[in-house]
Amino acid sequence: MKRNLNAALEAWLEQGFRQIGQIVIQPQENGYTLTHEADTDRTDLTPYTRPADARALSTLDEHGVFRPLKTAPTLKRGWKLSVPDLAQLRLTLDAFYPAMLGSFFSYQTGQLPAVPLRETLNRQSGMYAVTKKLTDTQANVLVGESCNSQSGCLKLVLWRISEETPVTSLPPSELDPAQSPQSNRRIPLLCAEACNLLVAKAREVVKRSAPPG
Amino acid sequence: MTPKPDSALLIVGHGSTVNPDSSTPNLERADEIALKQLFGEVHCVFWKEEPSMRQVLHLIDRDDIYVVPNFISEGYFTRTVIPRELELTGPVTQRDGRTFKYCEPVGNHARMTELLMRRAAEVAPGVPPSETTLFIVGHGTNLNDNSAAAAKREVEKIGQAGGYAEVFTSYMEEEPLISKWDQWATQPNVVVVPFFISDGLHSYQDIPVLLGIEQEITEAASQRSVFRNNPYHLRGRTLYYSSAIGTEPLFAEVILDQVAAFDQTHPA
Repeated sequence: MKRNLNAALEAWLEQGFRQIGQIVIQPQENGYTLTHEADTDRTDLTPYTRPADARALSTLDEHGVFRPLKTAPTLKRGWKLSVPDLAQLRLTLDAFYPAMLGSFFSYQTGQLPAVPLRETLNRQSGMYAVTKKLTDTQANVLVGESCNSQSGCLKLVLWRISEETPVTSLPPSELDPAQSPQSNRRIPLLCAEACNLLVAKAREVVKRSAPPG
Repeated sequence: MTPKPDSALLIVGHGSTVNPDSSTPNLERADEIALKQLFGEVHCVFWKEEPSMRQVLHLIDRDDIYVVPNFISEGYFTRTVIPRELELTGPVTQRDGRTFKYCEPVGNHARMTELLMRRAAEVAPGVPPSETTLFIVGHGTNLNDNSAAAAKREVEKIGQAGGYAEVFTSYMEEEPLISKWDQWATQPNVVVVPFFISDGLHSYQDIPVLLGIEQEITEAASQRSVFRNNPYHLRGRTLYYSSAIGTEPLFAEVILDQVAAFDQTHPA
């Protein structure tokens, strides 16, 4: 086993990392307590104690709407989740933000190659094969609408539209970990490849722009 | 099963962007298996949710990974999408310093027949099978999906086991259509078991409309407090509709069996 994410997480905490996405990590005498970043001063939070609670807390937003994209900026508030050790902290964070600790570890060790959107779309089949027709211009508009951190996704977009075409519809702070705010304190959420949700939206764009008939 | 602390188990599910009911059975089975401490790690990945198949290398610490598709049949997903997204080249794939062991989908397992019959008996307690028509409902059509063939195979095996007055396959999108269930069933009692992994869009929302137990598409299963109000008195029969077969907790054992079967067919 070459990877040891628990050890990596421990090192990040020692280096002063205290936040991931919308979650603040507070080391305690007996473990760690997690809260929503907007709830750190509240005293009326509902307590939870199991990593499995993270899944329930992150499934729906505050309006009861399903969150298929766990890194959407819609994590609900009002909870406080305490776990006794590092192993459970990792499980908890993996439930809130699947694969994000591991992606950061891979990034730090040079093992997170970014896959251009064009490559992702070109390998689609079945109902998504049509996404090959998405133009670079359409792609940039779509990424700006769907992947922005205000209403879309908190991940930093590491990939380009194609080898030749960069993403121009997002600010540098949403593309480059070094330029994101508090980069010495926040474990970044990193996107190395467009997700299926974006591919599905690309399909809608292509379908809408197809000539009638 | 002998514990495999140096291996990871990866359960691959379809997932949904619409409601959590599609991924729930996968996550529940993963939790149950993790409690047994048979693997160093247990994870789920999805086609339409996070974590995605493309993130496995970052999600998993172990180098030895058993991949079990939590799908009813071999077909488009197990033969095209999963191998492509996980970059698998065959039953055993060496990739980026990892070994991926691609197991059979759960729906291929010999216990499916027993689990379908158990589910049918549970949903209609005290109802004599000898006076009951049993329908096993598959999806049908859809690319090269073999769900229709899988449902047919199970119906043949249930028929051979005996007990039910009659057993039929039926489908959402091809004949024999489940919407015409009353034209096929000759018995006063009708039991319908969806041969699906989850109580997602198809089994919880679409099929009930086709059966006539709902007039229109309802909210998702996770949004309703009462799962079903069996039995339904419809078209002169008493109809019982079960939850999808994949919600059966014994699927955890089926997943483990598929790992054991892989080891038998591909000894190290």
